[in-house]
Amino acid sequence: MADKTKLGMEFPTYTFEVEKGKIAEFALAISQKEDKNQLNPVYVDREAAKKSGYNDIIAPPTFQTCFPFWAAGGLLPIIQILGIDLIRLLHGEEEYFYYATIHPGDIMTGKSKVVEMYQKEKKDKPGKFMDFTVIETEISNQRGELVIKTRSTLVER
Amino acid sequence: MANKIYFEDINIGDSMPAFTSDPITRTHLVRYAGASGDFNPLHYDETFVAMFGMQRVIAQGMFIMGITSNAITQWIDNKYLRNFKVRFSGMTEPADLTDFENTKGRATITIKGEVVKKYTEGRENCIQCDIQAVDALGSVKLTGSFIAALPSK
Repeated sequence: MADKTKLGMEFPTYTFEVEKGKIAEFALAISQKEDKNQLNPVYVDREAAKKSGYNDIIAPPTFQTCFPFWAAGGLLPIIQILGIDLIRLLHGEEEYFYYATIHPGDIMTGKSKVVEMYQKEKKDKPGKFMDFTVIETEISNQRGELVIKTRSTLVER
Repeated sequence: MANKIYFEDINIGDSMPAFTSDPITRTHLVRYAGASGDFNPLHYDETFVAMFGMQRVIAQGMFIMGITSNAITQWIDNKYLRNFKVRFSGMTEPADLTDFENTKGRATITIKGEVVKKYTEGRENCIQCDIQAVDALGSVKLTGSFIAALPSK
């Protein structure tokens, strides 16, 4: 069970440099495509992105999910520090707040914090509880602009 | 690419254009694992999941959220998105290539959405659209919503 004294805990910041190839690879994966020509061109073609009103190629809406995996060893270190039971763990919810766009060459900095820890009684098993841990991450770019805020809800069932 | 959509064109009760994925295969899961960097073997190694008594690997929840994002951005340009959230409710097993016709249904995800709110916040004209991802057998994978601030005519 997650250690409730860890509420408010902040994790070391990570930085991730956004590469054009990584955006294309991610867009291919979520689009179930094998060829860049089959993708929404804003993810791979700078000129097409400009025609759509962007300064450069942009990233898909869930792209930031890859930052901690490539830059900070993923969720596992956080899970271990919080004492979360991996066998009971489920990814319950994921939420994004968008403030600015991400482009190739951007250097993203992520800062995560435990913002909520609570229990809920299981509907089907009265007296048994599920543990919820909410981790909020603020992701900024190299100009210090807040680009995305994420909220991940981890559930121990 | 999404067409130009104006705030005035959208009404409460409008449906998002429906979107259906290709049947998800293990290859898609491996590709997503590589792209995201989430190398949890639960999503691609059958010998790993067998240790937990599972018959098959399961799709990454974030892969299903990614597919859902494609459904949204085919309708609404990325730059108008302000919020996107999902609650994961069901696991997705990939289709088996040895029995593709009988197993593709559980691995084919349709995203549906309905506009539930229209409002003005600050200088932005926003819509909220509730969304759901369901497989071809009717099993719900995730529910959620997105908020978009749309241009005005």
